[in-house]
Amino acid sequence: MRAALVAGLMLGPALIAQQGSLSTGTPKPKQYITYAAEEQLVKPGKKAVVELRFKVADGFHVNSHTPKSELLIPTNLTLQPAAGVKAAAIEYPVGTEYSFSFEPNEKLDVYSGAFIVKLPVVAEAGSHTVSGVLRYQACDNAACYPPKSLPVEVVLTAK
Amino acid sequence: MRRAVVLGVMVVGIALMLWAGWHNLRERKLAMQKARDNQVVLIPEKQGAAGDDSGLAPVMRGKQAPAFALTSLDGKKVSLADYKGRPVLVNFWATWCGPCKVEMPWFEEFRKQYAAQGFEILGLADDVDAGKDMIAKVATKAGVSYPILLTDGKVQTAYGGLDVLPMSFYVDRNGVIVEQTAGLGSKDQIEANIKKTITSGTVAQAGGQ
Repeated sequence: MRAALVAGLMLGPALIAQQGSLSTGTPKPKQYITYAAEEQLVKPGKKAVVELRFKVADGFHVNSHTPKSELLIPTNLTLQPAAGVKAAAIEYPVGTEYSFSFEPNEKLDVYSGAFIVKLPVVAEAGSHTVSGVLRYQACDNAACYPPKSLPVEVVLTAK
Repeated sequence: MRRAVVLGVMVVGIALMLWAGWHNLRERKLAMQKARDNQVVLIPEKQGAAGDDSGLAPVMRGKQAPAFALTSLDGKKVSLADYKGRPVLVNFWATWCGPCKVEMPWFEEFRKQYAAQGFEILGLADDVDAGKDMIAKVATKAGVSYPILLTDGKVQTAYGGLDVLPMSFYVDRNGVIVEQTAGLGSKDQIEANIKKTITSGTVAQAGGQ
């Protein structure tokens, strides 16, 4: 009995410690795309192409920038003008073909997994931040999720 | 002997604590590394913050269906109260939602099949910004003749926020949501839910399940 009590006392904190580590876990994702913010180094006054890395959550897909139907919401990045940075037209990757299992003849053009959006820039010397929003609409194999906006910050250093 | 047991248990306990601590630290290190690798930018969802975790849980099941009065595609004011005493399927869909458009012809079929029991379907378009014409075009293409209503933003909130489409609420004659489904289910499952909605509330039933 006493042994059990001691064991209980000993185990208690251990379990609490474990619980602690569980509660630090990430909350349920409301976004279906993540953006890997990396510092981008470019040469001042020279043309450079900045790569913005995104990842669609496993099990989901989003429409590409050029979906095959006018009804579908394309993935689209809008960037705010930033002083000292001249940005040319954004280059989107081509999508891959996808069909829902329940609609095998309907071919969609989607991004899934990692995809890279390229941004051609010419930046003045110094550090710049270009802010923007990636708008997209995700589905999994049986449901779709309302359009989302993902904030994007491109940190550029020209030196 | 007993002392030895107590001592043994203590040793095991301390070992467990040490392991838990180490495990905790390792987890945290990994999490940090992951966060740095993949600086996730999450938008706080203010609307869904209260009580809505996954958007998939049938949180409305067993509740009274929230009242609404919306405009149909043909410009009529349609409210849920108009269908009091009838089993109704309230289906939220959108023009950009592929799975939604798969089940809409099934709904149409079941509507005819169960018309004698007073069964009706209300299709609530969750993407009013697509425009009335586009919504009408998609509904016609899906062969839908049941009322399509234009949402007002408030009805989505009243029905739990709608983080997923399609989302269906099966409302019985007494206005109680007997079933809530998210995503495309099987045709058989949809029919089973319709049957359940038709039978629910016919005899004085207490509170469902």
